Amino acid sequence: MPSSQTPPIGSTALDPTAARPPIDDAIIERVEPSALHARLSALRAEGYTMLLDLGGVDYLERSPRFDVVYHLLKLPSKIATVAEVGHPERRRVLCGVPADRTVLPTVSDLWKSADWAEREVFDLFGITFEGHADLRRIQMPADWEGYPLRKDYPLRGPARERTPRPAFANKSNVRAGTPPSGRTAQALQRQIALARGQQPPGGEEPK
Amino acid sequence: MSTVEIPQPRELEIVERSGNQMVVSMGPQHPSTHGVLQVITEIEGEVISRSSPEIGYLHTGIEKSAENLFWTQASTVIERMDYLSPISNALCYYLAVEKLLGISDRIPPRAQQIRVLLAELHRIASHCVWLGTHGIDVGAISAFFYCFDLRENILDLTEQAGGARMHPNYFRLGGLNGDLPEGFMGRLDALIEKFPGRMGELRHLLQKNPIFQDRTIDVGVLAIEDALEWNATGPVLRGSGVAYDVRKAFPYSGYEQYEFDVPTRTEGDAYARFLVRLDEMDEAMRIIRQVRVQLDTPGPVMVDDTKIAPPPKETIAISMEALIHHFKIVSEGVRVPPGDIYASVEGPRGELGYYVVSNGDNKPWRVRTRPPSMYHTQLLKTMLIGELIADMVVIIGSLDPVFGEVDR
Repeated sequence: MPSSQTPPIGSTALDPTAARPPIDDAIIERVEPSALHARLSALRAEGYTMLLDLGGVDYLERSPRFDVVYHLLKLPSKIATVAEVGHPERRRVLCGVPADRTVLPTVSDLWKSADWAEREVFDLFGITFEGHADLRRIQMPADWEGYPLRKDYPLRGPARERTPRPAFANKSNVRAGTPPSGRTAQALQRQIALARGQQPPGGEEPK
Repeated sequence: MSTVEIPQPRELEIVERSGNQMVVSMGPQHPSTHGVLQVITEIEGEVISRSSPEIGYLHTGIEKSAENLFWTQASTVIERMDYLSPISNALCYYLAVEKLLGISDRIPPRAQQIRVLLAELHRIASHCVWLGTHGIDVGAISAFFYCFDLRENILDLTEQAGGARMHPNYFRLGGLNGDLPEGFMGRLDALIEKFPGRMGELRHLLQKNPIFQDRTIDVGVLAIEDALEWNATGPVLRGSGVAYDVRKAFPYSGYEQYEFDVPTRTEGDAYARFLVRLDEMDEAMRIIRQVRVQLDTPGPVMVDDTKIAPPPKETIAISMEALIHHFKIVSEGVRVPPGDIYASVEGPRGELGYYVVSNGDNKPWRVRTRPPSMYHTQLLKTMLIGELIADMVVIIGSLDPVFGEVDR
């Protein structure tokens, strides 16, 4: 959350209004989600051979809420010495994603490396990539609920903050209603019963 | 009795079984995966026809934790990502934050020299772990002990400088925690003296070893186009022929003043990556020798800005202003002007980058790592196809992934 306190003045380094030298050596541009794939494939044809990284940012109160950031690098796609590589161009493409439509076209058809990076953004921010061949969770367990890197996701996980922490005497996490992970207590009970070969509580599996 | 259903990754279901097809899952606790990696492979006889690496077993939410810590506190968890070379992580993170603060060109030269010294020492230490374990993967156990002996010397130096062997947390915003202690230079000189002989022994053990060559030459060949397409950097990219090194392409911390070569091979196989890393260790020592000469000149190791650097301890007792600055920095941290920035360094595994977003508060809004290991692990999808299942550990070893960084 943005702090209510204003930054202290008097120091050049910390004064946001002070004139500072240009801090980034990358070319920065912003595109709309609808124009994203066309723009990136044009850049790919222009010689940006590498998609260095792809990550998400959640700005919470801003509109559009999310940013997906593409870092591109222009490297020669042949055997190259240090002099031939030189100082390659870097480009940062930012794409705003509104909270009510968290869908972007995939770029894994342009750069294969986008595969896992997009899966990670999907896993941690809940932004889906249309046309991705295998979009499933990558870091969190497959049955996890919620998107952990969103700003409204609590630091300690939803299950722990939903219910009070158990007293020390009550050692069983399951009985106290606070499973050690983001799985719901009901799902956990069900899993334990299945592992013991018993009839799961609640009968039918919740859809 | 009902059974627990184990979900199969979608892409690896065998629809039609013919001949010798079989699905084999390696890991996540297999010792030669260098961490917790699961590789599900479909094999035909002994040849891998499809493979699907599964990660996430070491996910610790470091990026989320960093958002809830002060700017300087965040480096403590960030150092835990790549636990074999924590210095590169801390250096890269601080480079990004210093750019946001606009103090990049005000870092004292001595602080930069010590940063370069430790980064290069840790490059050697990290490659020592890789070399030792890579040797074990192919059955050459003795190299491991020589490597860890050399690494121990470097960890001793780290302990002396920062106070801890593995995660020293020695760097600070604007410089270092303190100058190098007495006796450090003597130990460093001893290491510089010892290094060429030890490297010679390691090269004798493995480089010309016919068994090692048999296991690595023409194994896991990575073409340039594939390397770029799948986002390989560092020794993996240079083993395939592109001499891209962040230290040369986007110099930082004064790397432009040191003379060093970028070892490059064109074969693209596991042996080429092995040779690139061995040469890199020699080049790192070449940089360390040049830094050693510069370190004879004393100087400050912290930026001269009371809003960022805590004042020296001895001034707190006599100066009211120093006491106030100290209290403000310790209790509420440094505030960083709003903005976003990408900074990268050449870590032992490749281009390590940090995309840092600030909203002007005393905590980072977002810290995104560009993990070289994750992209290298992703390479297994394409590199393993057509290889023997016995060569899988060699290929994983030659990519040198660190799973603290893959999963974060």
